[in-house]
Amino acid sequence: MESAEDWLVESLRLYQDFHAFDLSGATRVLEWMGDKGILVAGYESLKKNEILHLILPLRLSVKENQGLFPERDFKVRHGGFSDRSVFALKHVPDTRLLVTSGLPGCYLQVWQVAEDTDVIKAVSTIDVHETEGSLWSRVAIFSSAAPGVLHGVRLSSLKVVDLESQKTTYTSGVGDSELLSSLQVLDADTFAFCCTSGRLGLVDTRQKWAPAEYLGPSPGSAGGRWCAAAGGRGPGPSIASLGSDGQLCLLDPRDLCHPVSSVQCPVSTPSPDPELLQVTWAPGLDLCLAISGFDGTVQVYDVTSWDGMWGRVDPLFTHRGHIFLDDNGVDTAPLVTTHTWHPDKPRTLLSAASDASLHVWDWVDLRASC
Amino acid sequence: MPEIRVTPLGATEGGSTSHPPSCSGAGQDVGRSCILVSIGGKNVMLDCGMHMGFSDDRRFPDFSYITRNGRLTDFLDCVIISHFHLDHCGALPYFSEMVGYDGPIYMTQPTQAICPILLEDYRKIAVDKKGEANFFTSQMIKDCMKKVVAVHLHQTVQVDDELEIKAYYAGHVLGAAMFQIKVGSESVVYTGDYNMTPDRHLGAAWIDKCRPNLLITESTYATTIRDSKRCRERDFLKKVHETVERGGKVLIPVFALGRAQELCILLETFWERMDLKAPIYFSTGLTEKANHYYKLFIPWTNQKIRKTFVQRNMFEFKHIKAFDRAFADSPGPMVRSGLRGPARLGPCLQVVFATPGMLHAGQSLQIFRKWAGSERNMVIMPGYCVQGTVGHKILSGQRKLEMEGRQVLEVKMQVEYMSFSAHADAKGIMQLVGQAEPENVLLVHGEAKKMEFLKQKIEQEFRVSCYMPANGETVTLSTSPSIPVGISLGLLKREMAQGLLPDAKKPRLLHGTLIMKDSNFRLVSSEQALKELGLAEHQLRFTCRVHLHDTRKEQETALRVYSHLKSVLKDHCVQHLPDGSVTVESILIQAAAHSEDPSTKVLLVSWTYQDEELGSYLTSLLKKGLPQAS
Repeated sequence: MESAEDWLVESLRLYQDFHAFDLSGATRVLEWMGDKGILVAGYESLKKNEILHLILPLRLSVKENQGLFPERDFKVRHGGFSDRSVFALKHVPDTRLLVTSGLPGCYLQVWQVAEDTDVIKAVSTIDVHETEGSLWSRVAIFSSAAPGVLHGVRLSSLKVVDLESQKTTYTSGVGDSELLSSLQVLDADTFAFCCTSGRLGLVDTRQKWAPAEYLGPSPGSAGGRWCAAAGGRGPGPSIASLGSDGQLCLLDPRDLCHPVSSVQCPVSTPSPDPELLQVTWAPGLDLCLAISGFDGTVQVYDVTSWDGMWGRVDPLFTHRGHIFLDDNGVDTAPLVTTHTWHPDKPRTLLSAASDASLHVWDWVDLRASC
Repeated sequence: MPEIRVTPLGATEGGSTSHPPSCSGAGQDVGRSCILVSIGGKNVMLDCGMHMGFSDDRRFPDFSYITRNGRLTDFLDCVIISHFHLDHCGALPYFSEMVGYDGPIYMTQPTQAICPILLEDYRKIAVDKKGEANFFTSQMIKDCMKKVVAVHLHQTVQVDDELEIKAYYAGHVLGAAMFQIKVGSESVVYTGDYNMTPDRHLGAAWIDKCRPNLLITESTYATTIRDSKRCRERDFLKKVHETVERGGKVLIPVFALGRAQELCILLETFWERMDLKAPIYFSTGLTEKANHYYKLFIPWTNQKIRKTFVQRNMFEFKHIKAFDRAFADSPGPMVRSGLRGPARLGPCLQVVFATPGMLHAGQSLQIFRKWAGSERNMVIMPGYCVQGTVGHKILSGQRKLEMEGRQVLEVKMQVEYMSFSAHADAKGIMQLVGQAEPENVLLVHGEAKKMEFLKQKIEQEFRVSCYMPANGETVTLSTSPSIPVGISLGLLKREMAQGLLPDAKKPRLLHGTLIMKDSNFRLVSSEQALKELGLAEHQLRFTCRVHLHDTRKEQETALRVYSHLKSVLKDHCVQHLPDGSVTVESILIQAAAHSEDPSTKVLLVSWTYQDEELGSYLTSLLKKGLPQAS
């Protein structure tokens, strides 16, 4: 394909490093385990799915003398089988435990990553009481000496369950049945939630439910589905909220009622699967975030000086690898299902798509070349 | 029950990708392959590799496992070598000439051509550079190769009356093959090294749905997910491009012309787009080998690749030229117009392929020495380098090398290690198992504890048993070979005529005679068998005497017997004949008086061999006595 070759030549200039892999099944999760391992899991509905713990290619983990390490491959360090689709997966820090959420059956599964063999085994479950069969629970982990699992389908069913004793240590206690789209633990006592409507808030678990909230985009706007992420580095807004119509809002946690900016990203809308929408902050760069879930691309934005910005913006970088390396031909272009940033390498990301591809890419900041 | 036994004699140990080094220096792949298989009474050795990580006897497989006191030639029916890599054939001359084996050694033709070259190269490095003793000699290599029988792809080779082998295309390197070993209806397939994704000059491995009892597959890369070919190529192109852009030169030492071929095609495809102003150069040593290689290569590849190559021989690349050693000194880049090969000004060298591959001698070492001092230059090592070579040293991170005459060479040029060899990863192994459809799978060269998940995956997906023996451990498989028997139409018809329809749930006993002639099995009726063999049928009749206490006359005893049997044996036809005898089906019972004791009656029960069961039942029944007359 002519365009694939052209893109490959372009990529020499656009990426420092680029790896492309084919998993045996597409994944919707990319969760770090340590700084060298990544977890993926399948989401097919009628067959056994695999949960894999992959170790990053040696080349990416070595700091010096990179050229002497020829290995560009992932090592499957552990693997397990799940009869259910996995839509969310979280590693419990400082343990060998994983928590997954999926369908059918709205319960959470707890797994153990073996130490002496390469097997991931199911060990226990956590009940989630939800009557509607097609909804699955969002999950986040409070890591401490006694880890707690924060989960919920709706605001009303938000709970924290102690992993070991299975006792509920926190409930939201509200009757609001709004559906959740993201949950994120910020520190030992706080977490952020975002509803599908775009309403988001920061909750202190030591108090009765009284979150600092942003009630969502104005009622006049088209609706659509929203997700959010907190954790921007550097001065300024540290919460980003992304809508299925391509709108990106930045908020400051000190004043959630008034978004700092709201821009329109150049993406194909509406997103074919709004559940796949994702926005993430770069852990190693100031005021830099990435979005995916609209098509086969991942877009990186520099949000410095977006204060009071409205209207259209352009991404700093667009990863098109999933489109150009798609070997399946023209029928259906793949959709990026998830992405994540490398914790240590500032410009390295991992992205996965619906065609079971998994890319690791280190983009070049073309503005910095002088 | 017949068995297949498999014992791996070699394994991957130390310094592999599973133990990454803590200091700088690449983790280089080491290991040796050597597997013993017993099938249908035949013994076959698969591969005979050298472990390059060791300098002592540990580098050779432990052949004492094979047979403690017998001669190897008597014990082994044949040896099969899958391809020319030293970890698969490096111990062959030691095995055949120093341990002692005179039987046939099978390999493909390209393997036969290339093996001795690599073995000699290796021997030179070990003996000349490292001063090793107790190593095989050049003559031993020659004598060993005299025992080789070359095979073609998909050609069934009869090793003897019962053992046959067949080679399948494995990809990986020129001449690499997977082998099917068959005795009767039992078979084993050994993969050697293979890959399931094609590269630019070698296709992917392929096997038909041969359904062997056992598939033995290399699993060194079983727990990896391979980076795509495009990204590996991109990495290579990027390195070359960056070096050339900053005014540096790239040296690529190669042995295997196949690898050079692959990279040449790649560079040629992207040459124009990458601002390469100068052609790519091949050292003359390589050029000479190229023709020879080309002749081996063309019959080996498949139709599709052959078409591309007839059009595009190595020398017909637009931008690839041969160069003479004198020009290694030329400063570069000096761009000349009209790229027609060496001219008085000297060519502008940017990218050079040179032999040998491990930088241990010759042209590549010469060029390396000239270019090592500049940090703008780069050397790209395309594979594993044996200990003692300059290649191995620089890949271990050494930057000051002691050359001949105590000269110290400071290496400032960039050293890159790129792995271009193709191996099957987890996905590839699953694909091959899906193609061959074996009953069992055996993984060699992996670490059992680290492959439990893969084992489960294979067992679940294909419903087979998966084994992972350790070095020296024997896996025994029971096979139940199915023996086809032809049943005569006459016999079948007769059974059908008996009225009862065949019922899958109620097996019915069928009587016949099995005739085994040559390898043919037939089931025919007894009569037909007798006729074919020209024998007359014998009748066997048994008679048993049962003594009864009965004072009445014989006729009355007979009647009592009749009544008794009639009431007990309701399912059978019991008759009282006019002459006083009683029949049960075709069994005859006659009552007679005892010659000496009139109060005792003797019942003569007689039956034919066919009625044995009923006859013995009746006898025991009658022995229990008759009920008292009412």
